[in-house]
Amino acid sequence: MAASERIVERRRVFQQYKEDVRERGKPFYPFAMLHDTIMSLVVVLVITGLAIVWKYTTPGDHQTVEPGWLGRLYDEPADPGTINFVPRPDWYFYFLFYLLRIFKWPPTVVIGTVGLPTVLLILLLALPFIDLRSERRLSRRPVAIVAAILVVISMGVLTYKGATAKEALGTELLALVPSWAQQQGFENNEQALAGARLFAVAGCLNCHTYLGAGGTNLGAPDLSAEGAKNKGIKFQVDHLACPACVNPGSPMPSFSGLGKERLQQLAAFLEASKGPK
Amino acid sequence: MTTTRRPPTRNEQLQQTILYPVDWLEERSGLVGGIRYFLFRKVPGDINWFQTLGSATLTAFIVQALTGSILAMYYKPDPNSAYPSIQHITNDVFAGWLVRGMHRWGASVFIILMFLHMGRVFLFGAYKYPRELNWIIGVLLLAMGLGEGFTGYLLPWDQTAYWATVVGINLNGTAPFLGPFIAQFLQGGTYINADTLPRFYAIHMLLIPGAIFALIGLHLYLVIRLGVTSPPWSKEAAGTGTMIPSQNGGRRGLTRPSTRRRSP
Repeated sequence: MAASERIVERRRVFQQYKEDVRERGKPFYPFAMLHDTIMSLVVVLVITGLAIVWKYTTPGDHQTVEPGWLGRLYDEPADPGTINFVPRPDWYFYFLFYLLRIFKWPPTVVIGTVGLPTVLLILLLALPFIDLRSERRLSRRPVAIVAAILVVISMGVLTYKGATAKEALGTELLALVPSWAQQQGFENNEQALAGARLFAVAGCLNCHTYLGAGGTNLGAPDLSAEGAKNKGIKFQVDHLACPACVNPGSPMPSFSGLGKERLQQLAAFLEASKGPK
Repeated sequence: MTTTRRPPTRNEQLQQTILYPVDWLEERSGLVGGIRYFLFRKVPGDINWFQTLGSATLTAFIVQALTGSILAMYYKPDPNSAYPSIQHITNDVFAGWLVRGMHRWGASVFIILMFLHMGRVFLFGAYKYPRELNWIIGVLLLAMGLGEGFTGYLLPWDQTAYWATVVGINLNGTAPFLGPFIAQFLQGGTYINADTLPRFYAIHMLLIPGAIFALIGLHLYLVIRLGVTSPPWSKEAAGTGTMIPSQNGGRRGLTRPSTRRRSP
């Protein structure tokens, strides 16, 4: 059908729609409004119910940070000096969170963080101009059906994967320090040993991997052989204090809160990590 | 034909007195007619329960606006007192835990409902001519809603909130060209600092909600102007000319006509 014919046709259909509704429709009030009202009440009840379950399944006197069925009422107060868990966004950003494990930084991380979400947003905005047919019956819109199923499945899988992403606990990692020292051969380097203990508890392994330990959140690189690159202590300290200054575009947070001395120890540890023998 | 003017009866006088404020308002604003048009406008007889998702989303947003306003009366957007103020709201303020819980979980419900509503519109093909603009406004509302989720997540100022936001801002910073500027704007500096929290608070409770209110207004205006679509599988869909005239004042579709024989 030519474009001009299609425009004439869809105008005709909309005129018909208006006529159909005006002459044979039903008034919004009270018929449709009744159902809107019932649905709205259900929404308010569900929200209230969630709030009640959140509070009343939380053990203790609510001064604690013990989780109930729906998670903690609040976590420990923010402390810019320490991370001892995986920084985790709210559930509706899990898909994005997980995309960052697929795209390893730095060259491709931008695809996961900005590229895909931007493309998705543009596709969504442009949808009415991509799909110009006036056909609305599902049986005649196979492409739309397949696209919808693919989007739902991929968002579902990414959200699930993000929700179950592996977390590394500082206390368990601390036990690995002697084995690291032995494998890397820095048992007698006090600075590096102190740095290794810091590395285990400061949350580095939530994103980085080291000799098989740790997660790969945000697609951060493996650090087992970081020292083999011989970047030097000064580079390592500068990078830890401000990753994005040294490595533009890095999503790694600043660790300047640890203080100069600790950064020196961490740097010594990284430089001593020449890769397992 | 001539009619003799008779004095108004007592009943008519009473009616006029009661209706006076309504007439006064209508004469000066046309609001009464507008509301009457909104309530008694015709909708297709075959609309169904899936089409209540939009108003359900609106309800969730209203819950967020109301609970958020109450929380704002007690919350202190300052790094030193934010966390204690959240504890105060949760443990001391009367029903504070309920208001905060409703805001916390209402956010998730709001986001889920936005996605469901969008899915409904997609499956019904309701984004097609002449409703393209309303689809675009809806997508913008979805983006704004996610922005509310992102900025609101920091406000409790606990470990989860703080570090998720640090990483979130760094992710924004990876965007080409604009990224570093966006990150700097969000943080109010090169790093997260004492200005970041009030900045997120202002964005969360003034900037984005203002935009959402305006966009919802436009969204509803277009819904009323263009009307709602019939389900695509309906045999009597509006626009096909096969619609069956409504009986009993339109008791069809959502409210099915009674099959029982009416008493004469």
